[in-house]
Amino acid sequence: MNLRKALAIAGVNLRRLTRDKTGAFFVFVFPFLIILAIGAAFGSGFTPKVGIVSTGSGVLGGDLRAGLEATEGLDVQAFGDVDSLRTAVERGLIEGGIVIPVGYDDRIRQGETVPIVAITRPTGSGQELETTVSGVIDEQSVRIRAARFAVAEDAAASFDEGLARADAAAEGLPDIAVTTRTAGAASAGTFDTGAAQELILFMFLTSLSASAMLIETRRFGVSTRMLASPTSVRTILVGEALGRYAIALVQGVLIVIGTVVLFRVDWGNPATTALVVLLFGLAATGAAMVMGSVLQNASQAGAMGVFLGLVLAALGGCMVPLEIFPPLMYRIAHLTPHAWAIEALSDSIAVDAAPSQVATDLWVLAAYATALLAVATVLLRRTLTVRG
Amino acid sequence: MGDAWTIAMKDLRRRLRDRTAVLVALVLPFGLASIFSLTLGDVESQGFEATYAVVDRDAGGHLPSEFEELLESLDFVTLREAASEEAAESLADDGTIDAAIVFPDGFTEQVQSGRGGEIGVIADPDAQIASLVAESLTTSFALNLDAVGLSVAAVAEPGSPPDDALVERAQAVAPAAEIRTADADDRSASQSSFFAIGMAVFFLFFAVEFGVRGLLEEREEGTLARLLVAPISPSSVIGGKALASFAVGLVSTSLLVFATTWLLDARWGDPLGVALLVLGGVLAAVGVTALVATLATTTAQAGAYVSIVAVVGGLLGGTFFPISQAGFLGTIRFLSPQGWLMEGFQELAYGGAVADITRPLLGVLAIAAVTGSIAWVRSQRMVAR
Repeated sequence: MNLRKALAIAGVNLRRLTRDKTGAFFVFVFPFLIILAIGAAFGSGFTPKVGIVSTGSGVLGGDLRAGLEATEGLDVQAFGDVDSLRTAVERGLIEGGIVIPVGYDDRIRQGETVPIVAITRPTGSGQELETTVSGVIDEQSVRIRAARFAVAEDAAASFDEGLARADAAAEGLPDIAVTTRTAGAASAGTFDTGAAQELILFMFLTSLSASAMLIETRRFGVSTRMLASPTSVRTILVGEALGRYAIALVQGVLIVIGTVVLFRVDWGNPATTALVVLLFGLAATGAAMVMGSVLQNASQAGAMGVFLGLVLAALGGCMVPLEIFPPLMYRIAHLTPHAWAIEALSDSIAVDAAPSQVATDLWVLAAYATALLAVATVLLRRTLTVRG
Repeated sequence: MGDAWTIAMKDLRRRLRDRTAVLVALVLPFGLASIFSLTLGDVESQGFEATYAVVDRDAGGHLPSEFEELLESLDFVTLREAASEEAAESLADDGTIDAAIVFPDGFTEQVQSGRGGEIGVIADPDAQIASLVAESLTTSFALNLDAVGLSVAAVAEPGSPPDDALVERAQAVAPAAEIRTADADDRSASQSSFFAIGMAVFFLFFAVEFGVRGLLEEREEGTLARLLVAPISPSSVIGGKALASFAVGLVSTSLLVFATTWLLDARWGDPLGVALLVLGGVLAAVGVTALVATLATTTAQAGAYVSIVAVVGGLLGGTFFPISQAGFLGTIRFLSPQGWLMEGFQELAYGGAVADITRPLLGVLAIAAVTGSIAWVRSQRMVAR
């Protein structure tokens, strides 16, 4: 195999791709759009915004609202009514909304357990937000329960006096702390796997779409002419693979670096992230070449590429989080390289996992890459040499 | 108009024979809907499940057992044994449990003598939701202990001996407020609705792509010239292509709405609103893809351009994951028909009526009108050549 020729073939493919407007777009412009989208959704320079409707909720309602405003990691905005709050949640202007009902103060004083309505988006961050707000509400509840008890036990003549007694008693009373940490680390890790899911999804999708190029190579007879020259089939195959791999790598690297630099998205351990991008890129290349050698014409490849890309991504956990997959689907998901890549990246993001800690995932990715490239080689060799 | 209809029917018949049209318009959406229903399925039928372990290092203390009893009473929780913190940590690490709750030595005694305390939670990094729930349950338990402690302290004389009856009464005081999620039971339905809507909107562009590429294809295959020789106006030819596109898009999207409602229990909302938005959306999709196709010189190029518009528009419009409408992204979202459609469909899914979707409807119709007319003019010129 002649490496110089292989590199030349890779170079020709890349030049063809970048000269064609759509190709250049996919390789260079598209990643930045993905970066924008990922950054906006998952960047850490981003505090979740919560809306509050608290009109008519009285003094205690105001206290609750103040408690939420004082909470670290929440950016509270006031809203006038429930409808505008709901609309703001739907439009993504805020992560969630809290409604402290009218008459909250009176109802509390009368001993009622008042429901506080939370409106959240049906994605992961909604759950986390609910947990945080729930905690603040429960904290406020501590003081109120003490006040109610004081009144019930005749230790205080009125609710306000009860509150005063509770506050005085709280002076010398330490509370019970709950400290969370992630297994394998000393502190709590970041949980959002969304960025990992999107990176894998788009690396794969672009690789499959770019495979249309190989089909045109066959159609235009370029491959046959290459074979006519003193070039081995193996050289041509390596050249085609290298070209495609470069595309996949550029995508992955651009997205990771772009999101870090522009939006401070935290990918965790750099070595692990780099290895996942490198190995998954190889797997995506292999898959793209397999698809390219199997399909008949370019227009079909475009649609099939997107379809297969999305199907495998959905199966592999790029859309619905792997955590909520039913057991059978969880096993099926691990038949795709996506699931392994996402899990390795999630561990890196959550606990800064080093490559040694995600060794299994990395080895499996390498195995997938090898298998897919091998199959692609066999199929391509046959189509190149058995010319109809 | 009759001629346009004939051409449309001819195109549709051809498309049916060509496997890719059936693939994209029917198999794709059904396939993805099925996959989503499989991956989300158990969540809806079985509900949420979690496995936890409680490490009780508090010899002689009863509070950790109380917590364990609390967990056992929850039907979505499965409890496992863990002898030590190290054992629990490795169980969480390999995924056997979703989270472990650790009570240190002397916990009960410390709490009851008013010296506070600390409970540890060890989370499995791959179990985001279950870990959050564990943390939430533990915090709730801790705060309840705080409440009882504070209640007793507010009432009892300082320095008096512990009074069990008093403590019991303090435990019985009702909480002040509790959080209630709007549509709590619909959380999974909301998630499947989101995916259903996102998918339908995304694939709309691929479904209508075939018809609009038709003109280019005919030119490449040489049949366009023959069509034009016939006593039909060029407008009929173009109109026929547009009509075929529209039909495929409409059928495909409608089928997808039904399929997801049936397979995923997706709630699309007010039927009239959904119908109007689908119509508007298909019109906009036809307009945009037609315009894009007129910018291409070959069918392959047209296909590639449409793919780009579909993926970029879908990404920016929020079909893959929710995109905040604040800031820069929010401004360019107006250019994306997918963005308008996502806004409109989500409004309907949250319970809105036709009146609530006037903005998105106007948005897609405006896009349809603008892109459609430009495409029409360009097509005329292309055909005339």
